Amino acid sequence: MRRRAFLAVPLALAAARAGADGGYPQVLPGATLAFPRDHGSHPAYRTEWWYVTGRVHAAGGRELGVQVTFFRNRPNVAEDSPSAFAPRQLVFAHAAIADPVLGRLRHDQRASRAMFGLAGAREETTHAWIGDWSFALEGATYRARVPTRGFALDLAFEAVQPLLLQGVAGYSRKGPLPRQASWYYSRPQLAVRGSVDVDGRRSTVEGRAWLDHEWSSEVMAADAVGWDWIGVNLDDGGALMAFRMRDRAGGALWAGGAQRAADGTTRIFDPADVLFVPGRRWTSPRTGYAYPVEFGVRAGDAEYEVRPLMDDQELDSSASTGTVYWEGAVRLRGGGRTIGHGYLELTGYGSTLRI
Amino acid sequence: MLAVRALAKRYAGPANRAVLEGVDLDLASGEYVAIMGESGAGKSTLLNLIAGLDRPDAGSVAVGGTDLAALDDDALTLLRRERMGFVFQAFHVLPYLTVAQNVGLPLRLLRVGDRDAGARVQAMLDAVGLGERAGAMPRELSGGEVQRVAIARALVHRPMLVLADEPTGNLDPDSAAAVLALLRDQVKARAAAGILVTHSLAAAGTADRILVLSRGGLRERGA
Amino acid sequence: MTATASDAVAVLRGALAQNRARALVAVLAIALGVALGLAVQLINQSAVNELAQGVRTIAGDADLSVRGPRGGFDEQVFAALARDPEVAVASPVVEADVRVAGRADPLRVLGIDLFRAAAIQPGLFPEGGERYDALRPDTIFLSNAARAWLGLDRGGTLVLQPGLREVPLRVAGTVPGAGGQRLAVMDIAGAQVAFDRLGRVSRVDLRVAPGADVGRVRQRIAATLPPGVDVDRPQASLRATESVSRSYRVNLFVLALVALFTGGLLVFTTQALSVVRRRPQLALLRVLGVTRGRLAALVALEGALIGAAGGVLGLAAGYAIARVAVGVVGADLGSGFFRGVEPAIAVDPATLAVFLALAVAAAVAGSVAPAREAARAAPAAALRAGDEESALARLRAPWRGLAVIAAGALLAWLPPVGGLPLAGYGAIAALLVGTLLLMPWLSVALLARLPPPRSAPAALALAQLRGAPGQVTVSLAAIVASVSLMVSMAIMVTSFRTSLDAWLGRVLPADVYLRVPLADTGALSEAEQGRLAALPGVARAEFLREEQLLLDPARPRVVVIARPLPDGEAEAKLPLVAPAAARATRAPPSLWVNEAMVDLYGFVPGRTVTLPLAGREAAFVVAGVWRDYGRPQGAVQLDRGVYVALTGDRSVTNAALWLAPGADADAVRAAARAALPGGERLDVARSGEIRRLSLAAFDRTFAITYALEFASMAIGLVGLSSAFGALVLARRREFGVLRHLGMTRAQVARMLATEGVTTAAIGVGAGLALGAAISVILIHVVNRQSFHWGMDVAVPWLQLAAFAAVVVALATLTAVASGRQAMGADVVRAVKEDW
Repeated sequence: MRRRAFLAVPLALAAARAGADGGYPQVLPGATLAFPRDHGSHPAYRTEWWYVTGRVHAAGGRELGVQVTFFRNRPNVAEDSPSAFAPRQLVFAHAAIADPVLGRLRHDQRASRAMFGLAGAREETTHAWIGDWSFALEGATYRARVPTRGFALDLAFEAVQPLLLQGVAGYSRKGPLPRQASWYYSRPQLAVRGSVDVDGRRSTVEGRAWLDHEWSSEVMAADAVGWDWIGVNLDDGGALMAFRMRDRAGGALWAGGAQRAADGTTRIFDPADVLFVPGRRWTSPRTGYAYPVEFGVRAGDAEYEVRPLMDDQELDSSASTGTVYWEGAVRLRGGGRTIGHGYLELTGYGSTLRI
Repeated sequence: MLAVRALAKRYAGPANRAVLEGVDLDLASGEYVAIMGESGAGKSTLLNLIAGLDRPDAGSVAVGGTDLAALDDDALTLLRRERMGFVFQAFHVLPYLTVAQNVGLPLRLLRVGDRDAGARVQAMLDAVGLGERAGAMPRELSGGEVQRVAIARALVHRPMLVLADEPTGNLDPDSAAAVLALLRDQVKARAAAGILVTHSLAAAGTADRILVLSRGGLRERGA
Repeated sequence: MTATASDAVAVLRGALAQNRARALVAVLAIALGVALGLAVQLINQSAVNELAQGVRTIAGDADLSVRGPRGGFDEQVFAALARDPEVAVASPVVEADVRVAGRADPLRVLGIDLFRAAAIQPGLFPEGGERYDALRPDTIFLSNAARAWLGLDRGGTLVLQPGLREVPLRVAGTVPGAGGQRLAVMDIAGAQVAFDRLGRVSRVDLRVAPGADVGRVRQRIAATLPPGVDVDRPQASLRATESVSRSYRVNLFVLALVALFTGGLLVFTTQALSVVRRRPQLALLRVLGVTRGRLAALVALEGALIGAAGGVLGLAAGYAIARVAVGVVGADLGSGFFRGVEPAIAVDPATLAVFLALAVAAAVAGSVAPAREAARAAPAAALRAGDEESALARLRAPWRGLAVIAAGALLAWLPPVGGLPLAGYGAIAALLVGTLLLMPWLSVALLARLPPPRSAPAALALAQLRGAPGQVTVSLAAIVASVSLMVSMAIMVTSFRTSLDAWLGRVLPADVYLRVPLADTGALSEAEQGRLAALPGVARAEFLREEQLLLDPARPRVVVIARPLPDGEAEAKLPLVAPAAARATRAPPSLWVNEAMVDLYGFVPGRTVTLPLAGREAAFVVAGVWRDYGRPQGAVQLDRGVYVALTGDRSVTNAALWLAPGADADAVRAAARAALPGGERLDVARSGEIRRLSLAAFDRTFAITYALEFASMAIGLVGLSSAFGALVLARRREFGVLRHLGMTRAQVARMLATEGVTTAAIGVGAGLALGAAISVILIHVVNRQSFHWGMDVAVPWLQLAAFAAVVVALATLTAVASGRQAMGADVVRAVKEDW
């Protein structure tokens, strides 16, 4: 089937342009996140996602990257419509398996408006679903169920560490203006248990994962074209997150991140603390887009190298959120050895994330 | 009965050929003549002029004292109907009429009453030896029989003048002789005048006298 | 000397050249038949292709479609389907034909959930909008055809008029996948609001889960659906859409085939006469050693050449006609069935090949009898003059003709095949062929009974005809066929129109009628009804609710009309076909059905039936059958009190107003429009106007039919003329003899005129009788089975008499003209042509 951009928008992720639409609450510092309420959805904000990425091993020792994401989007149209079909809230979902044997992603996606209980995102706690795809928090465990045509994921993610509030108590600034920000917390080192079905064969898997829950109304500055992001579970039990917002020239408009040591001491990075140095580029044979799949990253006073599990982890979600980006399992190297496993996200390398 | 005077006819065309030039011919009632001539000599033209089916360039034809030149087409048709009878080389009887109907056709055109006409037709058929075949269709007859029907039709209304154009051309010699004899006998029996146009000297021999048409003029044979 | 086939061909070619004029007429006749047939076929094919394309666009790759009443069904049905584990995707659609400000035709608007439609109906995907435009309730996307039709581009405003309201929408982009379909797409939520369809959807298209069996899923789902909602493969809705017009299209096609048939008869005439004329030549060929088989093949080959020439010419002409007709009258050929479809004429080689083959087959079939005749003749007999008639004598036995007619009479009693009156058409064909076979015998019998005429020319004419009935028949075949079909159509159309006129009188008793345009998007509330009833000048008002229910997904929806119709009044109000059945007390409420309901659904009087009203099955007793010329898909009427009790729906779609004495209809019309918000958008008409418009539409529909009939009539006359010409030419020597014998030109002309009059009178007489018989089949079998309506036979005596007189006069003139041509000065010399 021909792929089409659904909303002629784009990734809900990046959907918030400065001052594009009114009617959304701004993300401003000062508020305090409260849980479990803030595990749930925040329908007034333009955009929200629960983004889980992890590295698992199948019984034979085979290494796989897994990714499950639910997006929520408020288009702010037809809000007063009496119709049960009124598109007040949209839900998108992506799921992908990075399998070095296959050499590219297995991927599927869904999109729906929230209606008739067929799709939605609950406000009380984490629970987003589209049909039989769901991602929900039960007690201390997140459960992802994603049956697709080509594969199926049924994974439990047990939280074994406290929340990691990004930025200032969860206020994560993304641009020069204070309102260019998101509410953002992460859950590193989730213990993964479950099954992965590929081509009709079920494997029991175990591993570690990382969850981001982020909501915002305006994350991209007017001259931003995309971002680079890493979230890494360090082998010693620590966690590292770093990102930069890029301008048209490829320079950093804004940057940030956080590092939590195994003992729980946490450091939040200012823009000046974070530097992304693109390395080798890989060009997609499908889209022709060139992604820097290797990076040198400096965060605070440490320097790391980011190496992909495999080059081709391009994710074509033009049939749901409407973008093509790179979202892949990576290894983090420091001091000449692998010190962690996580995910690298590269957006805005094809067309500008129009937004 | 028939008076042809200085008759001339030419045909338009590159040659502008004169077919007839000053033909004279007188025929009394009961007189039966044969006209011979080579192909293209004008025999048929002469017959058509005498029958009023064609108009001469010069000269005159009078039948029973009536000058044909004075008559229009309808009057000429009437004249033919009443005073003339025709026998053709081909068997020109109407295929969809019975023998009796064919023979009765001239009477019908002359509005002779049915009863009278029936008797005359039967008498005529008896005379030509077809008394038993009155109800037959022409296709059931032999060639000689068909030509006898034609002779009966030519004479049934007692014409003054009988014109026969090669009446035996399509017949075998035996039938031809019988038909010629019949024609001559019937013309004579009804005191009509008869003209027999033919190639055949034997046929011509049945006539009272023989005329030859050549180079536009008509002469007695041997004269 | 050895005779080779090429010698034979040379002789035949010479004959064909001699016959050039007649051969040309036959070629043209075949060409006309092929052209009309092909044109009708091409136009229909294109229109149906467009319809199919439309269904494909709207249903996309769906495995199943769930549909219900025209006004839609509960959206919870969609929700349940979407949850079904065996349903991979369920795509809800709100569909409405909506009036557009300033346009006569409605626009089809589809409200979709683009997330779901994207998976099943890529053809409906809206493109070109700004962010979220495809979700906004106030935007709309136009297909290219709709954009061209409306002259609107992105950024323009489209004003829709659902019901009496007015909804302005911004044109946000296009629907590039919709092809030539004239449609618009908007968000389903916006469509529900704009078209007053809150809580309802029109259809749900389903893709079943991988591995699930579509048939089984369909059965399982069907059992869960509420009454009046059904699930079927999407093709079923195409069949339903298509079936509305199929009978009309088949009728036209059959008419075109008639033209081709007449062409075949002309070939028969031409070939039969030419074989007769060439008997000596053909016999000569036999004598020279050409076998019978070869001779027959040669004559058949001549026919095939005529057919091929006509076929090729006809293909070109048919294509041209189709192009022009679609441009001028539209794809529905004036029938109104394919509104909104703008097909491109597409030609596929298979269709062309079929029509070429039909042309050749018709011509060869027309040549078979003459060819066999040519081969059969004994050479010796054929060489003799005066034998022509025997060649045709064989055609004279009556039994074959009677047997075929009897078979036709039996066929007329058979039921329809696949909804089409194929047996009826077969019956007509059998009657036609049987009568033609019977014509020689009939001619002989009739001619034998004529009194002997007094005048010699007339007697000769009669003798000629009696002597040659075969030739008479040959020249008559085309005229009998075309007269009979013309007459049958005239009787059928007159019966139809008379019945329609009377029916309109019955069903339009009030003075002024009001209607909410395209009633599935709006209705009049009780308050509005009250305002209309209270208008000054209105003595009485009656309100009517119209709805369309799906009783069978493979058929078009059935119209339900609820109006004040208490027992006892119905007989006075409805144009009943038969008196109402007696009612048992305590029986379910009465339902009055049109004839189509009896034919299609077996709703016979006395039967207890159910209708899915407001999502529940309601029981009724069929109380009687009313005549209906408006709804061949089926319609029922019931008392509005019963309807309201069952559905709770008090809104109405139509109103009938009776004026107080002295009230002015135009003033009432203006007052009615002013009384309601948006009232200027009400359709208001006086009964006389409706009647006039209905009859005008009727006449338009039959215009094309008449055109085809006239074409075949013209072919018939040309055939007669050419046959006369041939016969007269063949009789030149006979005329020469008659002139010698003393017949005047006028007498010969009178003879020919007598022959002409007699021949034409026999042909027209037979045509009239046959036409009357065919009209009975058209009325009681073809129309009834095609359109499910009955009519009372009305014969247009004056029209038929005039028509018969004109045909006889034309035939006579033709005969005399042919004679005049053959009677030139040379006729006297023709007696000698023989040697």
